[in-house]
Amino acid sequence: MELLTALAIGLLFAFGLYQFLRRNLIRSAVGLIILSNAINLFLLSTGAYRGLVPAYVGDPLQHSDALPQALVLTAVVISMGGFAFITAMLSGIVHRYRSGDSDDVSQLKG
Amino acid sequence: MNQPQWVLLPVIIPLAGAAVGLLLRHQRRVQAYGSLGVILTALAASLFLLGRVYTYGPQVAQLGGWAAPYGISLTADLTAALFVVMAQAVLSTGFIYALGCNDRCSRFPTFYPLFLTLSTGLTGVFLTGDLFNLFVFAELLVISGAALTAISDDPLGLEAAYKYFLISLLASLFLLVAAGSLYVSYGTLNLADLSARIAADPTRPLTGVAAACLVVFFLVKSAVAPFHFWQPDFHTVSPTAVSAMLSSVVVKVGVYGLLRMTTLWFVPFAAELRAFLIVAGLVGVIFGGLTAVGAQHAKRMLAYSTLGQIGFILVGIGWGTPLALTAALVYIINHSLIKSALLMIAGATASRAPVKSAAFSALRGVGKFTPLGGALFLLGGLALAGIPPTNGFISKLTLLRSGLALGDGWTLAGLAAGSLFSLVYVGRAYRNIWWLPAQGEIKPKAGGDRLLAPAVLVTLSLVLGIWAEPFVNLCLQAVAWMLNPAAYIALVLGG
Repeated sequence: MELLTALAIGLLFAFGLYQFLRRNLIRSAVGLIILSNAINLFLLSTGAYRGLVPAYVGDPLQHSDALPQALVLTAVVISMGGFAFITAMLSGIVHRYRSGDSDDVSQLKG
Repeated sequence: MNQPQWVLLPVIIPLAGAAVGLLLRHQRRVQAYGSLGVILTALAASLFLLGRVYTYGPQVAQLGGWAAPYGISLTADLTAALFVVMAQAVLSTGFIYALGCNDRCSRFPTFYPLFLTLSTGLTGVFLTGDLFNLFVFAELLVISGAALTAISDDPLGLEAAYKYFLISLLASLFLLVAAGSLYVSYGTLNLADLSARIAADPTRPLTGVAAACLVVFFLVKSAVAPFHFWQPDFHTVSPTAVSAMLSSVVVKVGVYGLLRMTTLWFVPFAAELRAFLIVAGLVGVIFGGLTAVGAQHAKRMLAYSTLGQIGFILVGIGWGTPLALTAALVYIINHSLIKSALLMIAGATASRAPVKSAAFSALRGVGKFTPLGGALFLLGGLALAGIPPTNGFISKLTLLRSGLALGDGWTLAGLAAGSLFSLVYVGRAYRNIWWLPAQGEIKPKAGGDRLLAPAVLVTLSLVLGIWAEPFVNLCLQAVAWMLNPAAYIALVLGG
């Protein structure tokens, strides 16, 4: 299970980073979402994480740590707000510049 | 004597004000002046907090009544209280400027509530005693700042806000990695608890990773030289009232974090961190100074100058002696006042230009319609370059004295070059806007932005320059507390 989690996090990280560095703005925004999910998984695995076992139910020696779950919950909510904002800005940018390529969306110079 | 409500008030007042402001979105005048009242109340509350901390020692509030290592605590020692007072004071002048400006975006129903959440986030970052809570407040700050820039009158505001937001989200992910690494290594996120545990055992495998990620987060927040690419664009196109806040108090978040990292959270790594900060600071001083000299746009020039000035502060933190840290603290507060005043004057002058732009080509000769603006810009520019009798002189003097005491000649030579650059670029801006005659006949716009807010700030910086001793003593005491974290840790964990 640990190996599987570690591999999943690593793969998500690599994939997210690759997408984040793409020229297409929408792809790079999706890459950021994937990256943030990789980090949420990482946060989840920092506590005593036992798969599907919930926090504080049943055997006290066998439960999951509740704090990282609370952290992930907060981080998920915040990143959802952030991505809503990103998509709103992206839609504005695509309307204004008629392009979603980061080479075209760079008029700030000087 | 610890009274937790005074620590909470500077955070809660603007947050409540933002909520009420959204409800009042149909009465624009009530909302605008009510928001000004809210931020002035918050300023009064933070001044009171500073007074209490000065008299009775650090104040701690345990949220929800959960004791320290388990719950979230808000803590105010003298340094945090000084930062909060600085932030609320500069934000208040930002509100005054926004009330007297002609930007269309200041009439949006969400403008003042967003400004208030900006204030909440900023105060929260300075007061929080919990690493994850720091992430939450930093996100609040970033979202408010980006939204305020995205609604700018300048059509390029959206592009700048997008760049800033994407880079800031990436930086926040670094903070999350740091939080996870520290939690898995030490089982706590409370900063006081963390500091005690890291000091006891600094050799856990993930501690260094966490420290590096935190440094990256703070460097992006402060726009230090290799991490600055969002900053000039962002500060150039945001509405003047907003860019004055972003370039003065908001960039101080990262500096505050680095100050805390070297004196409280990561004391065992302080030597390496400091060596790095001196180099990063020097690079910033030279690079920021040179690019500001070459800039063709008044606001962009001031944004690059922030890069250089942050470099001076980093060198102060990097030297790390009590005197150098005091110099850094004095520098941080003085720079906030000066830079916000200068950006406001640049924006106010641009609002009188025939083409609304702060590029030097558009501003040439416009200055003769605002002689008051010229006088204020001259005083502010002298303060930025560090000429007496302004507060900029006091900050450079303390920094110079701490450097001489250390005998670090090469760094001092770099700083001297940086100061020379700042004199050059301020003089160049003044010459372009106020001295040179306009090319052809220009007609100013009637009724530009009011100059009350920058006048208040420039007066404040003159007062702090002439009557500097109490202020410097306060900073000295703040640093003395900061360098003795044991009492602070005991208070947070015990109370």
